[in-house]
Amino acid sequence: MNYTIKQLSIFLENKAGELSEFTGVLSKNNISIKSILLADSTDFGLIRTIVDNPEKAKTVLEDEGFSVRFTDVFGVKIEDVVGSFDKAVRALSKAGINILYTYSFYEANTGIFIFSVDKDRFDDAIAALQAQNIEIVQAKHFYM
Amino acid sequence: MTFSKNESLSRDELQAWQLKHLKETLLRVYHLVPFYKKKFDEHGVLPEDIKTLEDIAKLPFTKKHDLRDNYPFGMFSVDMDQIVRIHSSSGTTGKPTVVGYTEHDMDIWAEVMGRAFTMGGVTCQDIMQNSHGYGLFTGGLGFHNAAERMKIAIIPSSTGFTSRQLLLLKDFGATVLTATPSFALHMAEVAKAEGYDIAKDFKLRVGFFGAEPTSEGLKNEIAHIWGIDYHEIYGLSEIIGPGVACNCKHSNLLHIHEDHFYPEIINPETGEVLPEGTRGELVITTLTKQGLPIIRYRTGDITSLTRIPCRCGRTIGRIESIVGRSDDMLLINGVNVFPSQIEHVLSKQEGITLNYQIIADKKGYLDKLEIDVELDEHLISDDVSYLGNLKKELQHSLLNNLYINVEVKLVAPKSLQRSEGKATRVLDKRPK
Repeated sequence: MNYTIKQLSIFLENKAGELSEFTGVLSKNNISIKSILLADSTDFGLIRTIVDNPEKAKTVLEDEGFSVRFTDVFGVKIEDVVGSFDKAVRALSKAGINILYTYSFYEANTGIFIFSVDKDRFDDAIAALQAQNIEIVQAKHFYM
Repeated sequence: MTFSKNESLSRDELQAWQLKHLKETLLRVYHLVPFYKKKFDEHGVLPEDIKTLEDIAKLPFTKKHDLRDNYPFGMFSVDMDQIVRIHSSSGTTGKPTVVGYTEHDMDIWAEVMGRAFTMGGVTCQDIMQNSHGYGLFTGGLGFHNAAERMKIAIIPSSTGFTSRQLLLLKDFGATVLTATPSFALHMAEVAKAEGYDIAKDFKLRVGFFGAEPTSEGLKNEIAHIWGIDYHEIYGLSEIIGPGVACNCKHSNLLHIHEDHFYPEIINPETGEVLPEGTRGELVITTLTKQGLPIIRYRTGDITSLTRIPCRCGRTIGRIESIVGRSDDMLLINGVNVFPSQIEHVLSKQEGITLNYQIIADKKGYLDKLEIDVELDEHLISDDVSYLGNLKKELQHSLLNNLYINVEVKLVAPKSLQRSEGKATRVLDKRPK
């Protein structure tokens, strides 16, 4: 099973039109955004995004002058009931894994939380979650 | 090892030489260049009034606009049949300045460049890739002519066409590189991007860099990336071109060939001559030039001068690396700021490149200084707090070093314009 999702991180300067230029490049190249998070400060922003074709997205964005890096993340399927997110976070915490950041998004009837952890603890995190019978989304889920 | 005996004369011998040639030069310009006769007369000074080297302070200064006002050949002291080379500035800020060389001047130029090459340990065994622009700019042909005379194999690659430069550098195995510091850095960046292994693919061991004020940090970075000895070469076309001064292996101070170019340091505001060791504007009088002798030329470059002999055995004076230009010194809310000081701070910070843009502007009645700093694409993090801290740290170090508040703006990798010639680092948007 492959759980490694290639998330794209892109540095954006905080000026009008930057984001639309970014989304324009993807749309023009028929790339679908599955999830996007904009972490911002007053003068710059960082886009974290999961798309259906990360390699192509990186190439076309770089051709347009964006600086793109890949970060390996994984997605955890969360049911819409109290305590299910807590269960995942606790499993990681018990295994001593530091969560760098996490964000969520919803599909038709399930929610998915995306987690970023230290690179060398990636496999431990997967194992810790699986030990708790928490469902991890396969990478191919996003790549259609 | 020195190239000519004049580099290590005793102070008395050197001063006797300087005085003799100064007197000759003054007679020549007074009688052959109407501009100088008029200027000396207005100033109430005659060539005969200069009896000691200290008397030079009695003479009026020559400024860049004097060359412009006498465009094109009004400052020449020989007829055109004696002139063998003409160079000129680009004239982007007004009329160009034009300089001319006799055969004798070409010999002097080659000699002082030869001295610089010797300081770098360069011999006829070497191959030199000359990435200074060829043409009216004195960098390219100045290096070229001197290298040929020393029988150094020279590759006239000129500037630009970076990928091809790298190919030549690798295939021809040059051991010496000459370029502007910003272009040397750009070449390294492109070399990495194109997959070269700088340590294995190139044979460079020495570089001569100049034409831009450059911080210690940037010099160290270029020396480190290319794995070479960094020699700074100073010059300006009004005096001769590159080769006015260069550092040897023993110190960062640049030996100035004061048997040909008599240096003074003045207070740029008052024109008063300052003592050795004090920073001010470098003023040069040529002692041996024939085509375009120049008296007390205000270079606009800020430096200091020492005449303490160097460990290498040379007794000629030394100047420190140019700190800035009297005309690109920024006055920000009353504080003097030189772009090189800013670059020094930036060079100590990880995670950014040394491509940056300084923007001076007004906010109400106050001056505001902003620096756009480019993130290093190899070190960029997807962590907002890391980037936020980077910005804060930089602002803090700039405050500590410059004593003013600077607004740092992080910009995306490779978003600032690259230069192949002299980099334009300062944008002053304040109304004049």
